[in-house]
Amino acid sequence: MTWLLIVRVLGTLSCVLAIVASWFVARRNFGALKESPTISIGIATLSAAAFWKLSAFVAIVALPVATIATANYHTFVGIHEVEACSQCHVMRPMANDLHDPSSDTLAARHYKNGYIPTGQCYACHADYGFSGDMAAKMEGFRHLARYTTRTYEEPIVSRTRFDNQQCLKCHQHKTAFESVHVHHDVIERLTSSNMSCLNCHGRSHPTRSSRTPGSPEYQALVKPPVFAEGDHE
Amino acid sequence: MRRTGAAYHFRIRPGKREEGAHLDADGLGYRRVEPPAPGISRRDLAMLLAGVAGANVMGAATWGALEALLPAGNADTWTKAVCRFCGTGCGIQVGMRDGRVTDVRGDELAHNAGVICVKGSMLRALPYVEGRLTTPMIRRGGKGSALIKASWDEAMSLVAAKFQEAIAAAGPDSVAFYGSGQLFTEESYTANKLFKAGIRTNNVDGNPRLCMASAATGYTQTFGKDEPPGSYVDIDHAECLFVIGANPFHCHPPLHERMMRRKRLHPETTIICVDPRRTDTADHADIHLSPVPGTDLLLLNSMAQVMCADGLVDSAFLTRHVRFTDGDAEIGFEAFRAFLNASYTPEQVSQELGVTAADIRRVAYRFATAKATMSLWTMGMNQRTQGTALNAMLSALHLLTGQIGRPGATPFSVTGQPNACGGVRDTGALSHALPNGRVVANPKHREEMEAIWGLAPGTLNPKPGLAAVDLFKALGEGQVRAALVMCTNPAQTLPNLVAQHANLERGFLAVAEIFGDSETAARADVLLPAALWIEKEGVTGQGERRYQYTPRLLQAPGECRSDLAMLVDLAERLGHGALISARTPEAVWDEWRKVSAHSKYNFEGITYARLKELRGLQWPCPRPDHPGTVRRYVEGDDPLVTPGSGIEFYGFPDHKAVIATRPYVRSPELPTTDYPLQLTTGRVVEQWHSGTMTMRIAELRDGAGPARLEVSPADARRYGVAEGARVRLTSRFGSIEGQAHITDRCRPGLLFAAFYDVKLLINRIVADHVDPVSKEPEYKVTAVKLEVLA
Repeated sequence: MTWLLIVRVLGTLSCVLAIVASWFVARRNFGALKESPTISIGIATLSAAAFWKLSAFVAIVALPVATIATANYHTFVGIHEVEACSQCHVMRPMANDLHDPSSDTLAARHYKNGYIPTGQCYACHADYGFSGDMAAKMEGFRHLARYTTRTYEEPIVSRTRFDNQQCLKCHQHKTAFESVHVHHDVIERLTSSNMSCLNCHGRSHPTRSSRTPGSPEYQALVKPPVFAEGDHE
Repeated sequence: MRRTGAAYHFRIRPGKREEGAHLDADGLGYRRVEPPAPGISRRDLAMLLAGVAGANVMGAATWGALEALLPAGNADTWTKAVCRFCGTGCGIQVGMRDGRVTDVRGDELAHNAGVICVKGSMLRALPYVEGRLTTPMIRRGGKGSALIKASWDEAMSLVAAKFQEAIAAAGPDSVAFYGSGQLFTEESYTANKLFKAGIRTNNVDGNPRLCMASAATGYTQTFGKDEPPGSYVDIDHAECLFVIGANPFHCHPPLHERMMRRKRLHPETTIICVDPRRTDTADHADIHLSPVPGTDLLLLNSMAQVMCADGLVDSAFLTRHVRFTDGDAEIGFEAFRAFLNASYTPEQVSQELGVTAADIRRVAYRFATAKATMSLWTMGMNQRTQGTALNAMLSALHLLTGQIGRPGATPFSVTGQPNACGGVRDTGALSHALPNGRVVANPKHREEMEAIWGLAPGTLNPKPGLAAVDLFKALGEGQVRAALVMCTNPAQTLPNLVAQHANLERGFLAVAEIFGDSETAARADVLLPAALWIEKEGVTGQGERRYQYTPRLLQAPGECRSDLAMLVDLAERLGHGALISARTPEAVWDEWRKVSAHSKYNFEGITYARLKELRGLQWPCPRPDHPGTVRRYVEGDDPLVTPGSGIEFYGFPDHKAVIATRPYVRSPELPTTDYPLQLTTGRVVEQWHSGTMTMRIAELRDGAGPARLEVSPADARRYGVAEGARVRLTSRFGSIEGQAHITDRCRPGLLFAAFYDVKLLINRIVADHVDPVSKEPEYKVTAVKLEVLA
C-alpha cells in the first residue's frame, strides 16, 4: 500500500465522518439540552452543552479541514506522480512512451537517464516557483474539466506553449549547453520561449498520428501503464 | 442569519426576551427555537439546490476563465510547409497570426520528426528582412551606371530584346540560363523546356553543378540512374555510419541529430568521420580519420583492397548483381583485385594519405562487417577533381560488401540545396542533361523527349551546353552574349572569382533576385524582383527523392513575381508561348509528373492533392495509390523491380551495378614549395551558402560573426600568426586578406574558411579545376601560401 493510497483513504474517511457527524449535530435539539445536563462517555463525564459544542466543532471545522488538507495533499502532491497523470487514458501514451526503453522521445530519454527519479511528468510540466505550480494546477484543472465533460478530441494537442524554462532550469549554464555555440545566438529567444528547444531536439512525446484512435500504435499506447515498485516513491 | 442544520432556524433578536426564548450561548441575543419540522422544508431544498448550482457555476466559471486566460501560444494557425534552406528538406509548421508569420516549428509528422535547426527556426524572420528588391531595375546607362527602377513590361521587353538580338546574331548557343537548386521544380522544368526545346540551346546550367554534379555522375556510373538508393530512415537502422567529406553538425543538423539519436539508442553503432578537419561532427564520432586534403580516393581504394584481400566481400552478391570494368572493357573480380593489390595496400598509401595502415584496416573491417553500413557524404567528396571517382568508389565499397538494399545499408549522398535533386537533377536542368536521367548526347534520349514534348524530330540540340565555370567564361569571352540568372548568387559562389567577376561584367546579365545588393545583383543589367519561399507555391525534391509541397501563405512585397511567372512571360515574348502552355505551378507539375511516367523516375502518382495532404512522397511512385519508395532497387519496395528478382539494379540493360577501377590521380592543388599550405572551405551552422538570406537575420548574422581564416596552432607558430592577426592568403588564382583564428580543428598544413561572408570572399582564391566527367570544380582543395600583415 502506497503512502498516496493511505492519504486517499484517510481523506475519504474524514469526509464521510464529517458528513455523518454534521448530520448528528444538526439533528440535536440544543434547546432540550437542559433535560440531560451531563453526558458520560466511558469514564469521562462532561456537560451536554460542552459535548455538543465540541461535536459541532469537530463536524463543522476539524473534519472538513482534515478532508480539505488530505484532498489538497492528494491533489498537490499526489498529482506529481506519473501514475496520477496516466489515470486519464489520453495521457497514457505519454506515460507508456516514457517507460519504453526503445523510445527516443525526449521524455523517454530523460526517464532513462535517471536524473529525474520521481514525478517525471510534473518535473517538466510545472513551471519553476510557486506561481508556476499554480499555473500547472490551473492547467490540470482545465484538463480535468475537459476530461470529465468529455469535451476533448483525440489526439490531444498541447494548447499552451511549452515554457523553455522547464528545460533551461536544468540545462542552462551546464557545459553541454554552453559549449554549443548556437544556443548563444538565440539565447534570448530561448529564455523567453519565443523559440522552442524542441525545434532542434525533437519530439518530446509520441506523435499525434500515433495517438489518434485507429492508428497501428494506438492500442499499445493507451493500455494502462504498469508501474514498477518504486516508480512513485 | 446563521444556519447550522436543515431543520433549525436561529433568528437573532436583540432586546426584549420573548416567551420560550433562551439566552444564546455566545450572548449575542435571544433566539426563538422553533420545533423541529419533519424532513426537509421546501425552502431548505431550494437553498440546497441553489448552493449546489452555485458551486457548479463557480466550477464552470473557473474552467471558462482558464480556457480564456491560459496563454495559447504565439500563433493562431499552423500550416505545413518546407524549410527554405538546405537539402535536408525539413518539414516545418508555419505559425501565423494576423497574416504574419509568428513562429516556425519542426513538423513532427515529417521525415525529420520535428527536428529542424537554428536557420529553420529563424525562418519566421525571413519574409520581413530589410532590403527586399520590390521593383524591376534596369541599368539604363549600360555597365557601370546606376540601376534605375523600371516597369515589368520595360524590364522583360529589354531581356527579350537582348536575347533575340543575341540569337539572331550568333545563334541559340549565344544565350544561357543559369538556375538554382532553390527554384521550385516547376520553375526549373519550365526553364529547361523553354531553353532546350524552345530556344534550342543546351546552355542551361545552375548552381547544382557546383555542388551535386559529381554525386549525380557517380550514381549514374554505378547504378545507371541518378539519385540515392536509400533514405534518411536508414540512419535509424545502420550499425556503422561512415561520414566522409561532410559536416552534418553544422551543415545538416537534423541529420546529425538523427545519427546521435541512433547512437544513443544503440550505443554499439559506430560513427566514423573522415575529414581533414576535426569538425564538431568528428568530435561526436567514434573514429575520426584526418587524411591529407585531396588524397581520400587512396583511402577508399585501400579499404577496397583490404576487403578484397581479407575476404570481406559478399561474393554471392557480386556474382548476381555486379559487373566490374576498367572504364573501357569488362574485367573480372580477380583483375579488379589485382588493380588494388598493385598500388593500394594500406602500407602503400598510408604515407601520402596521412592515415595509418592500422586505421585503414580498422575502418575497412568495421564498414564491411557491421550488420548495416550507411555512408553519408557531401561536398568533401563532390567538389573535387576526382569527385565522380570518389562517389562511384564509395558506392563500390557498398556493393563489394553487400551493404546495400537492406535497412541501414546504403550509400547516401546528402544534398546541399532544397531542390537540387528534384528540381535540377531530375528535370535535367543541366547543360548535358534532359529530363529523368536522359542526356542530350544520346540520340535515343533526344527522340524520346521530342516525342514526349511533341516537338518536331531533330528539334533538340545534340551538342551539350556549357557547364557553370565554362558558361561564365564564355560570357566573358563573348560566345554567350546574354544570360538569365535565377535564384542564385554566382558572383559569390563560383570558384576563381577574380576572373569570373570580370566575365560577369561583360555579357548581358538578367538576374532574378530577392535583394538588390548581392554580389550578382551588383553586376546585373536587369534585376527582376522575385517572390521568396512561401510567397509562391511549388514543389521541392530533397535529398532522399522526396517531393514536398510549399504553399503560398504570404503576399509577395511590392511588384515581386514568382520565377515561374517571369519564365512564362519571357517564353511569351520570345514566341514560345505555345510550348510553355502550362502556366500555373499545378499545371506545370501535372505536365512534369506525366513526363516522368516515361522513365524509371516514374512519379506520376505524386499529385498536388496528395502533396498537400501528405508529408511528401518518395519516388518512384507510379500510381496515385502508391505509398512511395523508401529503398530503390529492392523488390517489395521499388515498384520498378521485376517481381522475383530480390534486388535489381535496373538502371543498366544487364540489370547489374558497375564497379570500376578508379586510379588515384593527384590533385593539381597538392602543396608545393611555393604554396605549402592547403585551403578548404565550408559552412557554419548559422549561415547558408552565400549568406544572402541568413546574413540579414540578426540572430544568425551575429551568431556566425565575420568569417575568419582558421589556422592550426602548428602553422600559427611556424608563420608567427597571432590570434586575430591580419593575414594574406595567396593561391595560384588570387589573394585575399582576412583575420586569422588559431584552432586545433585544423591539422597542420590545413586552413579553413567559410564562404558566407562577402567581406572574406574566399572563392576569389579557390581553384576552379573541374572534374572531367561532372565538370564540378574542386573547391575543397586549393594550395595556398600564408603571410602575416603588419
